Amino acid sequence: MKEFLKADGKRRRLWFGAPVVFVLLPIFIGEGWLSLFTEMMILALAACALNLMLGYAGMVSFGPAGLYAVGAYATAIFLKKAGLPFVLAMAAGPVAAGIVGAVVGWLCVRRTAVYFALLTLAFAQIIWTIVFEWYGFTGGDNGIVGIPVPAFLMSITHYYYFTLVLVVTALTLLWRIGNSPFGKILQAIRENPGRTEFVGIHVRRYQLYAFILSSAFLGLAGSLFCAFSRSVFPGYAHWIKSTDMLVVCLLGGIHNFAGPIVGSVVYLYVSKLISSYTMYWMLFLGIIVVLLVLYMRGGIMGYLSEKFLSERGELQEKGAGEKA
Amino acid sequence: MTIQVLAWQALSGLSVGMVLFLIAAGLSIIFGALNVLNLAHGSIYMVGAFICYSLTSTFAHLAGVFWWTLILAPIATALLGGLIEIVLLRRIYAQEMLYQYILTFGLILILGELCKLVWGVGYNTVAVPWPLTGSVSIMALPFPAYNLFLIGCGIAVFVGLWAFMRYTGLGQIIRAVTHNREMVNALGINVPRVYTGVFMLGCWLAGLAGTLMPPMSVVALGADMEVIIGCFVIVVIGGLGSLPGAFIGSVILGLLTAFGIFVAPRLAVAFGFILMIIILLVRPWGLMGKPE
Amino acid sequence: MILEVQGLTKSFGGLHAVHDVHFGIEERELSAIIGPNGAGKTTLFNLLTGHMRPDAGRVIFKGTDITGRAPHKICRAGIGRSFQRLNIFPRLTTFENIQVAVFSTQGKGSNLLSSAETMVREETEAVLDGVGLQKKKRVRAGLLSHGDQKRLEIGIALASQPELLLLDEPTAGMSPSETVETTELIRKLVKERGLALIFVEHDMNVVFGISDKIKVMHQGMIMFEGTPEEVRGNEEVQRVYLGGKKK
Repeated sequence: MKEFLKADGKRRRLWFGAPVVFVLLPIFIGEGWLSLFTEMMILALAACALNLMLGYAGMVSFGPAGLYAVGAYATAIFLKKAGLPFVLAMAAGPVAAGIVGAVVGWLCVRRTAVYFALLTLAFAQIIWTIVFEWYGFTGGDNGIVGIPVPAFLMSITHYYYFTLVLVVTALTLLWRIGNSPFGKILQAIRENPGRTEFVGIHVRRYQLYAFILSSAFLGLAGSLFCAFSRSVFPGYAHWIKSTDMLVVCLLGGIHNFAGPIVGSVVYLYVSKLISSYTMYWMLFLGIIVVLLVLYMRGGIMGYLSEKFLSERGELQEKGAGEKA
Repeated sequence: MTIQVLAWQALSGLSVGMVLFLIAAGLSIIFGALNVLNLAHGSIYMVGAFICYSLTSTFAHLAGVFWWTLILAPIATALLGGLIEIVLLRRIYAQEMLYQYILTFGLILILGELCKLVWGVGYNTVAVPWPLTGSVSIMALPFPAYNLFLIGCGIAVFVGLWAFMRYTGLGQIIRAVTHNREMVNALGINVPRVYTGVFMLGCWLAGLAGTLMPPMSVVALGADMEVIIGCFVIVVIGGLGSLPGAFIGSVILGLLTAFGIFVAPRLAVAFGFILMIIILLVRPWGLMGKPE
Repeated sequence: MILEVQGLTKSFGGLHAVHDVHFGIEERELSAIIGPNGAGKTTLFNLLTGHMRPDAGRVIFKGTDITGRAPHKICRAGIGRSFQRLNIFPRLTTFENIQVAVFSTQGKGSNLLSSAETMVREETEAVLDGVGLQKKKRVRAGLLSHGDQKRLEIGIALASQPELLLLDEPTAGMSPSETVETTELIRKLVKERGLALIFVEHDMNVVFGISDKIKVMHQGMIMFEGTPEEVRGNEEVQRVYLGGKKK
């Protein structure tokens, strides 16, 4: 609230306007678009969860999809096989992912850099294998379909609002975590783990906490997607899905909280657009990815903030000139 | 479980392992010298397989067409590799691992779709070439002669490569570059050209694997994804940058998967990953690698 | 005595980096460690701060044996350190660099929900003031001048509220004016905050200008220990390190 009241007129309109737009959206656009927006929100949550490790703590994970799938499958199994209440099943997602994240993370943070990344990859592949092969429990390569969801959530509009509330809450939490003392310490770890160790921080423990938090939010995203598509498949855990998430983060910009959000919107929109024109859309995605790494490593938000900073700099120079 | 069955399983695992060795060897050498984890290495392998299919089917009427392909296809993939290195890879040598990973992932997408464009989505087969069409009797059980040939090829390539690295001038330069870039540069050797050469060598190996594999299996899209993770497992177990490591890793993975099927038929695939995790936790530089 | 080092030894593959080192540091004492490159000075620091485990010997800080403890625990026990190669957080602002250390000292690291921007302002500003970086607090640390970065490093070490401060070559790479400023800073720190301070230095002006005691290291051992006058007067030290020049 403090920020809201302090902000100038332009900012205030944005702060007030944005929620209104999102709430009124279903009035103006069709179900197809609403469905896409819902997907974007879920992907944005997953990407922001990953970015807590990636952008804030500097921990490159090759296997976030594993935790995402744990959340999705936990919810799926609770709903379809155990017939448990919806709220419980939804909560099971982040909880299960958090627990798995704690176990996997505890082992993974014992290593850093490329070894850490390979460890996360290996664990994600184990999760994928379990999901793919355990026919009796997870449906194997058929996945689980026809997952029962409360009647009022069957409508796309209703599910849009449901997702909106949960995702906004989760993103707000992630935002606060990123800006908290804990978040600052994570950033310090990213910048210089050795130095952080010697301001009294047990670096490995903080990395584990980041891993667990990231996993829990990834699991929530998985649960949301499970209830959205009412089906889950082993592909949710595949390393390709993991890499997609990394691309989304990089596309938006990993050194900015809004980066992964922007990345997921652009990524989904552009993929849907290109795939509507050609069956070789992955070729174009590949080209975009290559160009991104070569020419725009800071992602969209990185590019914009550089432009904004340089413009600001020019204005300040002008101002100083006029005063003189 | 008789000895015959065990031997048969072992050989079967080894033949797959040897194909993986050829790819993993390339991956390992590239990582050792260029410090890049080339995710797209499986794609080069797949391109090799498709080229093998194209050449053998187009010129099927020629005698010994497979053997000509065995010579030509790897050269083609090596040239492709050279192109990729010069145009793309060079620019990311100084980059962090994450960006290299993502760039080579982009390459997977590009190469995969180009294969789809040229060769379509179907399954293609390549006949086992004469004179390897029969089977050999191993302890009274028939084992495909071609698979034996594969194992032989793998071993031959390993020995050849090892000798090349050890005893030839170029091989020593490659090993020197692996250990100390700046020094080699200071010695007046054209390091960028060495890098290109190393990458082409790695792609030649992948193309060779891609040519040797089809008679044993099928040529189809998705081979790139199937193979690359197995290669990562091998390279981690054996040691990033180590050629003997890649060989040992391939043998281990081949046998592990072949025998894992007896122990836990459905989770056998995961055994490789479990071993990978153990190595990373206990001895991250791999069985034959050197700690930094 | 705030720090006692007994028989500290560390070898790397047969080479004695530090060999049977004994010394004591009193409270409020300003000591310098000098010696040619490779004498084992940084290794000694690493042994004191837990970055390396000694092969033999003990480190006793405020009466407690801290030998071989993990670095973050030693930091929490009250030892601060700056490093030879620049050790700051480049993409964080100067303010945030110090703030992180303050958060850690005050145990606020488990706070996940408060906004960090408004927290521990006073303490952080105080440290910034202490090292003279108040005006540059919004600048990204990576963009500061070398001298400022070195002072920031000292600031980060100070923020942990140490009772013993170890500075590894605090004036390395500095211009003459920066060196004078930093020297003054070090002197002030000891006087005003009552710190014990050990620093490694190659600039003899600094060393002889402010030290209470000087230890001369050579080939992993402390070959001589004494006041600046005693060190200057010692012939062996002159030969080994000072090159016969008298300052």
